Amino acid sequence: MEPKYVSREMRDYIIEMGAETITWCMQCGLCTALCPWRLVPGETSEKFNIRRMLRLGQMGMEGFEDETVLFACSTCGMCVKNCPRGVKIIDNVRAMRASIVGGGGVPANLRPILGSAHANGNPWAGPREKRTVWQEGLDVPRFSPDTEYFLFVCCHSCYDPRSTKIAKSIVKLLKASGISFGVIGEEESCCGESMRKLGDEELFQKLAQSNIELFNKKGVKKIITTSPHCYWVFTEEYPTLGGEWEVIHYTQLLVKLLEEGKLKFSKEISKRKIAYHDPCYLGRHSDIYDEPRNLLASIPGVELIELDRCRDLSLCCAGGGGRIWAEVPMGERFGELRIVDAAEKNAQMLTTACPYCMNMLTDACKSLNKQESLEITELSEVLAEALE
Amino acid sequence: MEKKIGFYVCSGCGIGEALDVNALLDLANSEFQVPLCRSHECLCQTEGVDLIKSDIEKEGVNTVVIAACSPRVMYDVFDFGLDKVVERINLREQVVWSHPAGDEDTQMLAEDQVRMGLTKVKEIEPPDPFQAEEMSKDILVVGGGLAGMTAAREAARAGYGVVLVEKEPELGGYLRTVYKLPPENPPYETPEENPLEKLVKEIREDNRIKIYTSGRVTSIAGGPCLFDVKISQNGTEIAERVGAIVLATGVIPYDASKLENLGYGKYADVVTMVQVEEMFKAGDVKRPSNGAPVSSVAFILCAGSRDPEHLPYCSSSCCVEALKQASYFKEINPDVTVYIFYKDIRAVGNYELFYKKLQKDGLFFVRGNVTSVDDDGSGGLIISAEDFLTQAPITSESVDLVVLATGMVPTTAFGEPYRQPQAGQEGEVEIPADAILVSNILNLQYRQGPEIPALKYGFPDSHFICFPYESRRTGIYPAGSVRAPMDYARAVDDAVGAALKAIQCVELTSKGMAVHPRAGDMSYPQFFMQRCTQCKRCTEECPFGAINEDEKANPLPNPTRCRRCGVCMGACPERIISFKNYSVGMIGNMIKAINVPDEYEEKPRILVLACENDAYPALDMAGLRRLQYNAWVRIIPLRCLGSMNIVWIADALSKGIDGIILLGCRHGDDYQCHFIKGSELANIRMSKIKETLDRLALESDRVRVEEVSIADYYKLPQILDGFAERLAELGPNPYKGF
Repeated sequence: MEPKYVSREMRDYIIEMGAETITWCMQCGLCTALCPWRLVPGETSEKFNIRRMLRLGQMGMEGFEDETVLFACSTCGMCVKNCPRGVKIIDNVRAMRASIVGGGGVPANLRPILGSAHANGNPWAGPREKRTVWQEGLDVPRFSPDTEYFLFVCCHSCYDPRSTKIAKSIVKLLKASGISFGVIGEEESCCGESMRKLGDEELFQKLAQSNIELFNKKGVKKIITTSPHCYWVFTEEYPTLGGEWEVIHYTQLLVKLLEEGKLKFSKEISKRKIAYHDPCYLGRHSDIYDEPRNLLASIPGVELIELDRCRDLSLCCAGGGGRIWAEVPMGERFGELRIVDAAEKNAQMLTTACPYCMNMLTDACKSLNKQESLEITELSEVLAEALE
Repeated sequence: MEKKIGFYVCSGCGIGEALDVNALLDLANSEFQVPLCRSHECLCQTEGVDLIKSDIEKEGVNTVVIAACSPRVMYDVFDFGLDKVVERINLREQVVWSHPAGDEDTQMLAEDQVRMGLTKVKEIEPPDPFQAEEMSKDILVVGGGLAGMTAAREAARAGYGVVLVEKEPELGGYLRTVYKLPPENPPYETPEENPLEKLVKEIREDNRIKIYTSGRVTSIAGGPCLFDVKISQNGTEIAERVGAIVLATGVIPYDASKLENLGYGKYADVVTMVQVEEMFKAGDVKRPSNGAPVSSVAFILCAGSRDPEHLPYCSSSCCVEALKQASYFKEINPDVTVYIFYKDIRAVGNYELFYKKLQKDGLFFVRGNVTSVDDDGSGGLIISAEDFLTQAPITSESVDLVVLATGMVPTTAFGEPYRQPQAGQEGEVEIPADAILVSNILNLQYRQGPEIPALKYGFPDSHFICFPYESRRTGIYPAGSVRAPMDYARAVDDAVGAALKAIQCVELTSKGMAVHPRAGDMSYPQFFMQRCTQCKRCTEECPFGAINEDEKANPLPNPTRCRRCGVCMGACPERIISFKNYSVGMIGNMIKAINVPDEYEEKPRILVLACENDAYPALDMAGLRRLQYNAWVRIIPLRCLGSMNIVWIADALSKGIDGIILLGCRHGDDYQCHFIKGSELANIRMSKIKETLDRLALESDRVRVEEVSIADYYKLPQILDGFAERLAELGPNPYKGF
């Protein structure tokens, strides 16, 4: 075998791109053992070993730039949460991607995604002016300096026809509670969370700056997010870039409204046995576990089912870290395992609180042909149905 | 001593319900004519103890036989002073808790145990502790490095006189080479100042410590409290008498000239960690080849260690030493590139935090075997290795300096193997000799050799888990890296421990008591020399080298070196070695006191000779857990299986006992024998038992040896019942009734 060359220059470059903790790794391999890729067969599973990828990074050695390896991580955070050395593995993955993407090494399948985000402010190839199409007929309030909450709707729920139902349901719930909220509209851009994870640092900075300027110009103080990804990036990454607001995920707000008696779920719904899937970015990344459960439990007649892998051990849907745009053969999708989890517990519905998760689980349910017995929903849809 | 025996049976803890206590009292009275036989329902409480004390005072009882719980418990309660003989018969753990209540066979077992106990006390005399003139409590420390100075300081602080001998003109040993020590204080991220000067000052200022620098120990004769030490210093000879010895002569780094495959001797810029310490200590850090500054350095750990071609073992400290030296380089130049090539990073305890700190500082850690160190053509060195973590060969960037972390070789590992004097008579049992190297450190005037036997690789250790700080020479305690590879912090702990052991030794020995593991025992072996045949078995078999010889091969015992195991007693074919409370005749008579029913009663008898240290407690433990086994067994505790004399086997078989089982400790490399070689010697002797059995025309299956550790108690029913089944197949011993 040809020897690989250690390069301090390359290693230091990766560190500069954000992999500050890459040298902390002692290569114990716990990350690899906990990685959801170990649960599925196939080429990616065989090639992608996060421990080894970090090893190559910390030695500045080539080999990690293989697309199958470099873009495999779904940033679920299972490894980060359990790393005995406190290595920020996702940051390291992001930095290693950035060291390649920054030099123009964008994989072919991601070019249109990043291109759309550059041109339209969203990765879904939707024209900017169509960002508000989902609002038609809903009479969604516009954000003004007098509005308390700015509702930031994830691009996915603005453009994806199935996902718009989430945006609509949340609007319905917020209106029912009577609180003051509003949207800005076409000028909003993608939060950039997934763009940054893909290693396009420049794009992320552009999107973030555009949002920060816009929100501040409009006088935003409090933000409701529909997606845990937007929630996470607003709370974890925007503050260092100058974007500091009070950010709340819609489930947190609804629990508060429920407790204050401003919202009440009194109608029984069609399905009773409901399992909840913890989204990685709401659970492990943001430590929000109880609010979605409390909301579900407040619906009359609902039996909340806990999956075996739940809360901080929840299994990733595979939609994070840019994986929502990856083509994965059937049989290798984490979401399929999640459908099996729910089916084993005889759940009639699997609900979650993230548009990506809903998207991935819906696909998985279809590929396993389980749509008849298991309905996939986003929590807001269930809650809206339970409104009187 | 005119014995007046009092016999006491306790009926508490279930004994009274399970046994006919009155029958036991009658037995003592009728068969043994014991004048005072009493029972009590709770002998260990105040009322019971007062009953015995009152008999001692009013009736003149001086020999107390207590049939109650195991002798391993309540020993402090049943202590009536040194002049009283106390014998304990185990009716609780080994009779009523292990056998059915109210059963004829259980009762017979209890009666036989009573017979054996009463037979034994007939011959026991209160011990007469060994005393000698001019016993010294001073402590000799050989070696004035970190461990030696620490041991000297600690012993002196405890109030003992210390004689410290150092071969160099200055105290300090390896510390004199060392720049700094690894972190010892939170947050465990920066090396510590070298404590050398402070320590030397403390030692120098303590007037209880006599220091001989440029000194050598040329001879040590005698034993604990009676060691006569000759020290040569600058051509003069000084005599000192000391009580115990701490051996702290440390280690020597493995010879790097044997590591040419790693570039040592080939490239000037390949150095050892010792050289790096010297560079930093001198404040002169540069490349040896051209005097240029060092901007990149690679450490190769396990250089010649954990390698069957060189040192097969781990030297325990080199990983942290390399981390420490890496931090030296980072301190003078934070941008320095550092590689660490390792097999495993063994940075235990708080050193983990130091390791983590250096990872954060950006060191390159490469796990894998270094395959070559090569010149890059412009004076730099390139290291190639098999990187285990990427499963690929890798090549480093060019570095200015390569540092080899060589392992430790104990100072005791040098010198030719000692040749024992001519062995005993032809055809005798072959006893494996201890590995002793003539390393010219202690120069013991011992028949068995001039230094301490090595356990492995030349380290004069004992079984550290079971017997910490012990060596195989009584009163001599190795400490620090000479005992086992260790770092500075552990060497300090080790030295404190060894100083404490030395203090225990002089305190016990000066009172005529044994040291570990029979600490406090005041009996010691006495030789009936008129019948000695000069066979040398006792001198050769003593695991502690306690017995010297005169020119006619007569044994010359050194009672203060003795650990009272009785191995000599087991070895002696003439049976002339006895303790006041333990002898061949005494155990033989106990065996003869067992009541052996004739074969038609179908009540076989099994003699169990159980090592007191592990097997006997294991039998107690089986009782405690209420494990049941056959009631044919008759248990006699032995000080060590090595004290077993073959004649007991013959005694038992000729009496009609059906089988004999010896329960002893594990022997071999991973031995657990408290007396190191006792169980091994018992096995060697048993290999000769076949002749005895053949002579008696008996099956060799009638005698069995089993290894039992205290944790094996649960196996005892299977072992004892399995043996009983085998004996049933063989049929009764034909000698029954003769």
